[in-house]
Amino acid sequence: MLFLLLRRRLRCAYNAVRVQTRWERGRNLAFGAAGLGLLGALHLGFHRLLAYLAGVELIGPLLMWKLTAMMLLMTLAMVAISSLLTSLTTLYYSYDLKFLMKAPVAARTVFLDKSLESAFFASWMIGLILVPYVLAVMRVDRLGPAFFAAFLATLPPFLLLAASAGIGFTLVLLYLFPSSRTRDAVWVLSSLSLTVVYGLVRFAQPERLIRPDALKVVAQYLSFLQAPTAPYLPSWWMTRALRSAAGGHWAAWGKDAALLWGAAAAVYAGLVALAGATYFAGYSGAQEGALRRRAHAFRLLPERFAAGRGPGAALLWKERLTFFRDVKHWSQIVLIVGLVFVYLFSIRRLPLESPDLRSLISFLNVGAAGFVIAALGLRFTFPSISLEGRSWWVLKAAPLGVREVMRQKFVFSAAPTLAVALTLGLATNAILGADAFTARVSLVALLTLALGVCAMGIGLGALFPRFTVENIHQIESSLGGFVYMAACLFYIGATIAILSWPMQMHFQERFGKAAWDWRVAGCSGAGWLVLNAVAFVVPWTLGRRALERHEE
Amino acid sequence: MIELEGLTKRFGPHAAVDGLTLRVEAGEIFGFLGPNGAGKTTTVKMITGLLKPTAGTVRVAGFDAATQTLQAKRAIGLVPDEPFVYPKLTGAEYLRFVGELYGADLGEMRRRIPELLEMFELTPWGGELVESYSHGMRQKLVLAGILLHDPKVLVLDEPMVGLDPKSGRLVKDIFLRLAARGTTIFMCTHVLEIAEKLCGRIGIMIAGRMVACGTLAELQAQSRREGSDLEGIFLSLTGGAEYASLLRYL
Repeated sequence: MLFLLLRRRLRCAYNAVRVQTRWERGRNLAFGAAGLGLLGALHLGFHRLLAYLAGVELIGPLLMWKLTAMMLLMTLAMVAISSLLTSLTTLYYSYDLKFLMKAPVAARTVFLDKSLESAFFASWMIGLILVPYVLAVMRVDRLGPAFFAAFLATLPPFLLLAASAGIGFTLVLLYLFPSSRTRDAVWVLSSLSLTVVYGLVRFAQPERLIRPDALKVVAQYLSFLQAPTAPYLPSWWMTRALRSAAGGHWAAWGKDAALLWGAAAAVYAGLVALAGATYFAGYSGAQEGALRRRAHAFRLLPERFAAGRGPGAALLWKERLTFFRDVKHWSQIVLIVGLVFVYLFSIRRLPLESPDLRSLISFLNVGAAGFVIAALGLRFTFPSISLEGRSWWVLKAAPLGVREVMRQKFVFSAAPTLAVALTLGLATNAILGADAFTARVSLVALLTLALGVCAMGIGLGALFPRFTVENIHQIESSLGGFVYMAACLFYIGATIAILSWPMQMHFQERFGKAAWDWRVAGCSGAGWLVLNAVAFVVPWTLGRRALERHEE
Repeated sequence: MIELEGLTKRFGPHAAVDGLTLRVEAGEIFGFLGPNGAGKTTTVKMITGLLKPTAGTVRVAGFDAATQTLQAKRAIGLVPDEPFVYPKLTGAEYLRFVGELYGADLGEMRRRIPELLEMFELTPWGGELVESYSHGMRQKLVLAGILLHDPKVLVLDEPMVGLDPKSGRLVKDIFLRLAARGTTIFMCTHVLEIAEKLCGRIGIMIAGRMVACGTLAELQAQSRREGSDLEGIFLSLTGGAEYASLLRYL
């Protein structure tokens, strides 16, 4: 039966490709090529880093494999967290579950089918990033295609094992807490614990371990490099397998590959067995909906009515209510707060002595903080149009333009994004003690970036709407999400490049080398204005037009 | 009033609606029938601005839907074939949201929302999230939403689906009363008894084309089935006679 379910997935995927129009096919090819370009750029970066590490005398290969182990550990953690976020929707709220649960299919089979779907969505993008890394390892170590084949053979069980954490957690959670209110509370606690664990790991300052000067003796450093990284986790088994394959020790590789496949089979067999007793109970609880008797609507209405001033205010009001009533959304604010603290802690720990270097880092912080804001935008701003979901008809049929809908979504996203940007900008400048000019330039640049990234998120979200997906992560990891992140990276990079001219003159002046060239400064300012105008207007206009034409 | 002139919608080479010309007067209840895939929902979507026609024009309450889009939309109340409503709003909040989108008067809404919830027997659920509503309750909520802003034109795609008999009766009475007040009602339905009882005129659509249109007597004449009820007419036009041979397989 499972094969029948999997075959229908393949058939659906094939049909989706078959019915593409020529324009859609061309567009997908173009973006696919852009994706390959991005992976190529990543590969170049990885290669440069690995070549540098491998070139270090005596300990080069050790460093390279230590980095590989850390990379795989990070992948494991990211897939596990991602699967935690995707599993609830995929396992319990998929559109086709009503059909599948009615059909003469065992609940265990449905669970396995949905688990594989959840594992795929949680891991494909993160797993893909490993490919340019492994290709870089191959180039640096001069390894043949057999190594790549060995990597591909061990990747699926590794990703499946990583995703099983979220799937198992969700299965148990829904069984133990069928009441939606308890489930929400557990969801918040999960976010909170994740933030605490993340913070603890960061505050333990792991960077000390890869800096030899931080360890007392060379022997200690060498023993750290040679020691396994989290030996009981699949990431270490994968590292060992790759290392064996690189050394041509195929028997050892086979042992680790068998361990990975065997463990994946055992874990999923265990989950399926557990699902036999728990999945339907959890599914049944999830269908009951969130019955939470609120204060009676009529008593609440008069005071709320006072706030209403036309469609724009109504849209904002609706955005606020729906966001704060969905625990899966608002609970991630806890993670953001943790992220901001860890970011500022990292800035504080930077070993910077010279005031000039501190000011320089304060300027470059625009790029790093901009990236954090773009990543937040991918999670909150970009999906906001698609999250209208199947209720989109309410707005589309209503007497208000798409422009108004986009404007209110922008306002709703821009306020918190600006708050994060302001916190990161002001705190970083204060921590680093940047000079007044650098502090002002970086703060203005960061705040403008925050607004630009929001406008791009709404614009590109409207250009690539996905009203029928059942999971926010499908929106983030879609083609549109990729285009959004690529556009943001380009925008941030271009901002840094353009503003580096006046910053360069400023530093030269500090060193007493040259005076300001106001023509260059003017050009830079004009270039920055043009860049921002393009970043605001182009995605916005394209998105608005596409959404007006959009037909479901 | 609804005026459709040469309305066409193509999806690639397939014409879902092919040159539909129709006029539904103020105060009229028009039934729009047809087998599955005939183009009824596509027509509804073009009238309400959810789809852009490939060719032809739509005028609603005198407004051209292509050039006076917002005025046309303000005049329409839509009940779609599937009543998807924001799951994280309560019923009362959804009504308030829709009311504000359509520019309903705030004082009027404060009075009307409790009344509408009461009328559709949703009062005990008014403060609950829509995600806990059944299909029929969501259908009633959407119906309450369109009544809130008092539209000149109602466009209804299977409005009776999921309603219990009492609510069904209530909704029929509401439609008759609204039509008597001059509201234009355009209703797609598969329930022929309802069409026969409620609608002054009925149009039958097959494969994107209107094959018959008129009062019951006119349809009987057009289909040469004098004395037949609407079901007989509908089956004769849509090939229902083939049932006899199909049923032999069962």
